[in-house]
Amino acid sequence: MDSDREGASGESPPEDAPNPIPGTVAAGDRANRDPRWTIAKRELASLRSEKTILLALLIQLFVAAFSSFLVVGLVSLYDPGAAAGYSVETAVAGDDAGDLAAAVGGTDGMDARRYPTRGAAADAFSEGRVDAAMLSTATERGTLEVRVLVPDGNVGTTLVVVRAREALRAFERLERDQRSASLTAETLELPPRAGSSPYFGFTYTVLVPLLLFLPVFIAGSVTVDSLTEELERGTLELLRVAPVTMTDIVEGKLLAAAGLAPIQAALWLALLSANGTAIAPSPSALATVAGVLGLLGLTAGLAALVTALGAALALTAPDRRAAQTVYSLGVLGLFGAAALSPANPANVAAKLAVGSPDAASYLAVAAVVVAGGVAVAVARVGVARYGPA
Amino acid sequence: MSVSPRKLLRVARWEVSRATGSLDRKTAVLGAVALLLTLGVAAGGVLAGGVALDEDIYAVAVGPDSPYHEPVSDSTPLEAVPEGTPNADVYVDDRDPSDREATVSVADTRKGQAALGAFRSAVERHNNRLLLAEENQSAAFPVGVTLSYVERASQRVGASDGTAGAAGADSSGDDGTGGAGGGGGAGDGSAGAGAAGDGGSGSGLGVPDLGGAAGSLFGGQPTGSPAEISPPFPFSSLVLAFAFLVPMNFVIQAYGSTILNERINRRGELLLVAPLSRTDIVAGKTLPYAGVALAATTLIAVAVGGGPLSVAAVFPIALVFLAATFVGAMFARSFKELTFVTVTVSVALTTYAFVPAIFATVTPVALISPLTLVVRDLQGEAVSIAEYLFSTGPFYLVAGTLFAMGVGVYREEDMFTQRSVPLKFLDALAVHLHRPRDVALLSALSIPFVFVAELLGIAVLFALPEGAAIVALLVVVAVVEELAKGVAIFAGFHQSRFERDLPTALKLGALSGAGFFVAEKATAVVQVVGLGSLPLGRAAFGTSGVGGGLGPLAGLGLLALPLVLHVVTAAIGAVGATRGRRAWAGTLFVAMAIHFAYDLTVVSTLG
Repeated sequence: MDSDREGASGESPPEDAPNPIPGTVAAGDRANRDPRWTIAKRELASLRSEKTILLALLIQLFVAAFSSFLVVGLVSLYDPGAAAGYSVETAVAGDDAGDLAAAVGGTDGMDARRYPTRGAAADAFSEGRVDAAMLSTATERGTLEVRVLVPDGNVGTTLVVVRAREALRAFERLERDQRSASLTAETLELPPRAGSSPYFGFTYTVLVPLLLFLPVFIAGSVTVDSLTEELERGTLELLRVAPVTMTDIVEGKLLAAAGLAPIQAALWLALLSANGTAIAPSPSALATVAGVLGLLGLTAGLAALVTALGAALALTAPDRRAAQTVYSLGVLGLFGAAALSPANPANVAAKLAVGSPDAASYLAVAAVVVAGGVAVAVARVGVARYGPA
Repeated sequence: MSVSPRKLLRVARWEVSRATGSLDRKTAVLGAVALLLTLGVAAGGVLAGGVALDEDIYAVAVGPDSPYHEPVSDSTPLEAVPEGTPNADVYVDDRDPSDREATVSVADTRKGQAALGAFRSAVERHNNRLLLAEENQSAAFPVGVTLSYVERASQRVGASDGTAGAAGADSSGDDGTGGAGGGGGAGDGSAGAGAAGDGGSGSGLGVPDLGGAAGSLFGGQPTGSPAEISPPFPFSSLVLAFAFLVPMNFVIQAYGSTILNERINRRGELLLVAPLSRTDIVAGKTLPYAGVALAATTLIAVAVGGGPLSVAAVFPIALVFLAATFVGAMFARSFKELTFVTVTVSVALTTYAFVPAIFATVTPVALISPLTLVVRDLQGEAVSIAEYLFSTGPFYLVAGTLFAMGVGVYREEDMFTQRSVPLKFLDALAVHLHRPRDVALLSALSIPFVFVAELLGIAVLFALPEGAAIVALLVVVAVVEELAKGVAIFAGFHQSRFERDLPTALKLGALSGAGFFVAEKATAVVQVVGLGSLPLGRAAFGTSGVGGGLGPLAGLGLLALPLVLHVVTAAIGAVGATRGRRAWAGTLFVAMAIHFAYDLTVVSTLG
């Protein structure tokens, strides 16, 4: 790197960074700089020149936009206010149709139309004059069987079924109250109806973890690529001729790949909050800062863990094909295993992002950061054994 | 280019032996461990009933002796915190724990409202559990519900007016489609637990009963008390998309590696000098991976309960995956670049397969995605040949064109040089340009890509209000079509295949426009599936003759006008292409504007 003199002037190397192999003249010694920075900068420069980082960001943006698009669709679908203009016309017929029609009419976004017979109601449904039909039949046991006809579709059907369920629950309560004399169970009074969509949590439980972990996965993949590439092209040998140690090379690559993940995560969090999704909302600014730092720490820890795994695989596997396949499968499995464990990282991220972290959440973040550090240390030892220098 | 099956198979065998031979024991063990871990986790996840992402995300302040404490601590998304905790989302003020009610107050945030919603459903579930213990079940659950999903356009619903069978909630035997003119029983049967006699009709969404944990994704059990009804998961096709497309990612990763491997350190040179045609080499190297993709697709199809049609519908997607990866690996400079190519490919294809199915309230739009064919196959519905061709035809054509493009640059001067991806792309196009009329051929070959891009446009814009959607779509159409016509011409000029003068530019423009026009007629296939009946479909494919039904003279005019349009706009673009990239961008913009204005006029006059 010809420009490393002025390039890294802003960053100071870690004070305690040891010179890995005494006796070698690391490049950093001359410029009073850690050679790992040089490697990391070279790595980032190659990402930049190949425009891969741009593409990575674009893809993530696309995935995010796509998921938010779904979320917006879902939220507007379930939000009683947003869909107020659209009312589900429901044909009601059969036994006790009066009560059923009352329950349907009392439900937001449903309109009841009574038909004299079940056949007439079914016909009205098939001919498209109503959006749904409820045909009720009394049984010998004194209960009512309601057959609900809804159109087969996709999103529209979901809306109709959600509202029909609401109406049928109201109807059930009505009928149950009429029979309350023969009931002994003491049910709890229901809390008031909420004015928000049940998909509020989706952003925090799915979108945020997705946006945090996608960069992590890509970081590991980049590490595998970068190392196997150097191995297969033989340029790693060239690098080793340079006054840097093997440990420096691998650590530099890890630094570049793993360092990008929290930066990308921070970008997504900023975008989300600019979009009206408050990240770690809390009355106290301190708690919000702690939450955001927790999220970034989680991402950094996971990235360190995954890139260390990637580096180890790249150096052990014979070629890129094997390394990438084992890496993808392994990370998929590890994420799955972590998700089944009590400290599910996706859940920890969701709790931090939604603003309900507890001590356990921060403990999990700390554990992940420590695990990442340990993984990097193990990879270091492995690398030192792999190469003579 | 001749293909000899014997040579092709030899290359394929060599590829397989190299792939398996390069595996050392250590990697094989690592791979097996990773695979076992993944499978074990998947099995564990299914056994545990899925993973709760939303555990304890809302805090509810409730006293330990309040009857509301139990539903809160039983609920997954709710966490019970002691009374008086600051910053809880819901506060339950239960002065008298012996009565069955309490005052509930909520934090004035969106999160508070969401927490209240979760709290309400937790209490509902709690009440339900209490009622299940009742002796008098008919009083506890006085209403039984049977949910029937009916495809309205195709069949009538029979409803008997007699009294229902006295059997009770779980036999639900009376809901067959039965009645007048009922076509196939699809969509109407309830495949709930009690309806085993129904004979394999679809469940919830009309999508397959995947059984077990996956079943609940598709709307769960459609029979039971009102509380037991769960609305259908609107994104079942996403689940299908993941099931089929995730394994393909592994295949293309290995495939991309092996192609790029040939290009590193001139390793592929040995194969190139062997007495084999380029097609032999590429086909031979591709065959094992196509085979693996086919096997994986078949396995998954069998696992979700599909038949040969499902495999036939998904396999073209696998081919496009491989073809795009092949071209990407031919263009990429490094493994890193290849990784992003593969990720881009899989994101784009997953979107293409998935988006149309979301807004599938209208069948023609849903048919854009081959996954709709899978859904139909799982439902036992028939799919006509025309519908199959409509869904998968673009995939076959795109895959074929991409492979042809990649094979064109599978030669020494392109494989072992490092150029940026766009330059490689122009190279790959210019390889096929020998005479001016080749431009017409390339423009014609761009049709599948144009078709796919416009279909994706329809699927994505379908959600917008109609007026805005049509204008946006026309913009997409103008941009996509002008680019498709112009890029071959630009490649020709850029690689100095043609003289950079005005007559040549006009000639190339005319040829490109004409070639595009002729090939565009093929998109009339959209009529077969009825996409022309949608305003959006008419807007996108109007120039291909979908908006017919006028008098002969006007019809002829409508036939000639698009030809004139394509020729004129392509020529405008070509003029700029003689003078480099900036000038090309400028004239291309003018051409797009003209194209857009023309389309808008046609759509609004014929509208």
